[in-house]
Amino acid sequence: MSSIFSQIFTVIMMNIRSLPKRLWMSFAATLAISVVVAVLLSFLSMSNGFKKTLESAGSDKTAIVTRSGSKSELNSVLSNDVVNIITTAPGIAKNADGKPIYSAELYVVVDGIKRTTQTKANLPMRGIAKAGVDLRGNVKIIEGRMFEPGRNEIIVGTAILREFSGFDLGTTVKFGKSEWTVVGIFSTGGSAFESELWADARTLQSQFRRGNSFQTIRVLLEEPGNIEGMLEAVKQDPRLILDVQTEIDYFKEQGEALNGMVNLGWILSIVMSLGALAGALNTMYTSVADREREIATLRAIGFSNISAFFGTLTESLILSVIGGVVGTLAAYIFMDGLTTSTLGGNFTQVVFSFHMSADLFKSGIILALAIGLIGGFFPALRAARLPVVLAFRGGA
Amino acid sequence: MSDLYLVYKNLTRKKLRFFLTFFAIFIAFLMFGALTAFDSALNAGVELSADNRLISVNKINFTQPLPISYVRKVQTVEGIEAVAQFNWFGGYYKEPRQQVMTFAVDPATLLAVYGDDIAIDEERYDNWQKNQQGILVGKAVADLYGWKVGDRIPLHSNIFSKQDGSSSWAFDIEGIYTAKYPQADTNSVYIHYKYFNETQSFGGNFIGWMGIKTLDPKLNEQVIKAIDDMFANTPFETETVPEKAFNQSFIAQLGNIGLILSSVVFASFFIILVIVGFSMALAIRERTNEIGVMKTLGFSSLRIFKMVLMESFMLIFLGGIAGLFTATYFLGFLNNAPQFPLPDLILSNDIILKAVAIMVFLGLITGIIPAVNALRLNIITALSRR
Amino acid sequence: MTDKILYDLRGVSKEFVKGKEKITIFDNLNMSIKEGEFLAIMGPSGSGKTTLLNLLGGVDKPTSGEIWFNGSRVDNLSESQLAKWRAGNIGFIFQFYNLMPMLNAERNVELPLLLTNLSSKQRKERVAAAMELVGLSDRAKHMTSEMSGGQQQRVAIARAIVSDPKLILCDEPTGDLDRKTADEILSMLQLLNRDFGKTILMVTHDPSAATYAKRTLHLDKGEFVEKELTT
Repeated sequence: MSSIFSQIFTVIMMNIRSLPKRLWMSFAATLAISVVVAVLLSFLSMSNGFKKTLESAGSDKTAIVTRSGSKSELNSVLSNDVVNIITTAPGIAKNADGKPIYSAELYVVVDGIKRTTQTKANLPMRGIAKAGVDLRGNVKIIEGRMFEPGRNEIIVGTAILREFSGFDLGTTVKFGKSEWTVVGIFSTGGSAFESELWADARTLQSQFRRGNSFQTIRVLLEEPGNIEGMLEAVKQDPRLILDVQTEIDYFKEQGEALNGMVNLGWILSIVMSLGALAGALNTMYTSVADREREIATLRAIGFSNISAFFGTLTESLILSVIGGVVGTLAAYIFMDGLTTSTLGGNFTQVVFSFHMSADLFKSGIILALAIGLIGGFFPALRAARLPVVLAFRGGA
Repeated sequence: MSDLYLVYKNLTRKKLRFFLTFFAIFIAFLMFGALTAFDSALNAGVELSADNRLISVNKINFTQPLPISYVRKVQTVEGIEAVAQFNWFGGYYKEPRQQVMTFAVDPATLLAVYGDDIAIDEERYDNWQKNQQGILVGKAVADLYGWKVGDRIPLHSNIFSKQDGSSSWAFDIEGIYTAKYPQADTNSVYIHYKYFNETQSFGGNFIGWMGIKTLDPKLNEQVIKAIDDMFANTPFETETVPEKAFNQSFIAQLGNIGLILSSVVFASFFIILVIVGFSMALAIRERTNEIGVMKTLGFSSLRIFKMVLMESFMLIFLGGIAGLFTATYFLGFLNNAPQFPLPDLILSNDIILKAVAIMVFLGLITGIIPAVNALRLNIITALSRR
Repeated sequence: MTDKILYDLRGVSKEFVKGKEKITIFDNLNMSIKEGEFLAIMGPSGSGKTTLLNLLGGVDKPTSGEIWFNGSRVDNLSESQLAKWRAGNIGFIFQFYNLMPMLNAERNVELPLLLTNLSSKQRKERVAAAMELVGLSDRAKHMTSEMSGGQQQRVAIARAIVSDPKLILCDEPTGDLDRKTADEILSMLQLLNRDFGKTILMVTHDPSAATYAKRTLHLDKGEFVEKELTT
């Protein structure tokens, strides 16, 4: 008999050619797999997008200083004295005048209305000075102008404009008793900062009765990622009860809030996969049963049982790959780019979009293949072990 | 022997096929039960909110403070039974990851407003009131960390620090409260406002928000107006809303969780619909000859129609009930697992009823076409298909 | 065998329309079966044997003409009425047994009794009697798929007689059996006819099977050629 490969190939082609007979069952299994893959990718793209938004806001050239144990900008409080002390620590970049480059900022929460649901949302308002804008490097005012120090003016990030109502250029917004005018719209290349409102730090301090205190300090590092000098200074000085992190690490921690979502997504998808697996097995067993006589005849002629095994297995894998691709496409079409917002680590809304990537596509296909492999393995085994005598038995 | 017996024998004819379709249905209903219970627990805070309770926060945002003098002032408003005060402490136990929902309250007024939810021994509550460093702990938290009445525990705050520079406060556990009804919250702990305020380093006499109990839900609207009017145009304006609305907007901030869960559940049901539907159709088609024989023997087409429908119903119900049963066990296991911040997950009668309705619907959809085909099957055609 | 006519076909015609062609199976056929007869019908393929059987079994309707059974017309009954009529009057035996594979022998035999109002106890008694008659009492609980052809056909016979029908219709009952087993089955049919007075109509292509019957009719292109045989 010809080589094992040509045998396998022949059997595979026969299986595929006879697929139309089992069209509906095969269709059912493929559809089931595509649904499972679509669900998995939806969850993954959601967490992916969230992480991306947060991580793109972080830079390793910047360090964030917060009060020890506060875990988020919102909870932290830093007095002016502390600001002055820590900014003399080694490792901080200096400007042309030899002064340390840093930005002392405030972070309060105000109410906004979500466009889609018309429900209340917590929005972050950051008190920031020119130093902070410069520090971030990628801030562009795309409409209007920057706020003027000392005035009740705010600029809003593009994400805010997109997801929440009432912040169009020129409008006056009321937070409690104080009124603010939206004088500009800024973008930061898609990072989490676009979900914020920015105002002059001093103005915010007086309006929110913060005296002379801040909440976080961002410093530019001499050497990217090197916060050793600052950590040492904190250790040595008992007045400094602070946490120092690179901005990247800080946002990474914030992003971990969604780890639960990813895990949930995987758990749900795996459970659903079991259901789809049942469908795949059902289809493949039916396929083998349908072609019992055929397979046995081939074996009687001299085809090896390995060819029968691979023939069936390949059929299953092909169906599952089709399902995986369809599911991925569906997730991509419906989910990619979908923007939404959720509660971030700061108790404030973070706007993000679902983001499909090549990595995710891989995950989807792997899941599909896994189902196809398991779903085809046992039926393939049965096909390989069919007694040849089935080819000769007359009638059913 | 009966029609039901015949249906059962037909259904279990091919053991493997029966098991696989049964399993797919089982999975779908397991997910339905678990996810719906989860969704309901998430909304429990909303559903179980008392009609006659309000929350009054700073108008800018609930994270902004209110002066403590507001508590006395609000008490003078007509229609109010009691006013409680809260400060969010931002507590954690030993490490920042182990967050503890800690509220600084006035013990004299806490039960007056929330007595319907909190079940606590009178004597213990009294002890707690008398000890300024006392803490009232919810059962869920106590179980999680193995705390007992009489323990002295340290709690850190990730917002506040003490005047001595540290951020660790020591408390005596004076009582452990339980839920007065299922799904009521026992994940919070309560400390004395006085102790907290006098030892924290920020100074100033501020509270976070007020919880208000009205004499009658019908008075809610006028009370809300009275309170917010009282503080309009002051540096600290208030926004007062019914407790239900407040809880609802909180959950809404998380995003449309309900939508996500429903979509996943819908997707699961869609999968089994497709799998089981085609499997049923195939199974009936394979029995064309037998159906012909049954009709020849004298079974009416209608009777056979009913039997096919019974078969799909039986399959769906067997898998569905098994799935719900397992969901109950699974939920029970989750409820007892540590680190679970939600109220108890229960498979309520409501959820079970919904599940049964879905089973009926699915049974119908997967069975109707094969049943109609069997109904219409012509004997001669059927028998000639050997 | 009495002189009472059990089954009477009067001027029965049966036509099929296939595309544009009209195929006539029977044209103005007349036939009667007396109570207690054992009638064999033989003929080449295409002669209309199967169609005749279908008509007699109430599974098909004539294009024109009348069919009278036991004094009442049956050709104008509705489908559900025919089903009821079949259940009460006809027992069927097929070439390939047509037993239900998921039921054991006695449950297969019990099947037609589900169409009656008999109690469970009464059904069990009837089934036991039928099983004994065909000599399979000791295999009552066996799955029919595990039985030989002859045994399966005996189960089928038990099923055919369990509700005490007036007429037993057999379609090539020995077509799938070897000579010896065939003879056993045919003897059993003879027994039913002779000792229990069952009217039997058997369609067969096997001449030696026909010898077991009392009368043989030959069908050719939709018409009868009679050949009487006495036993």
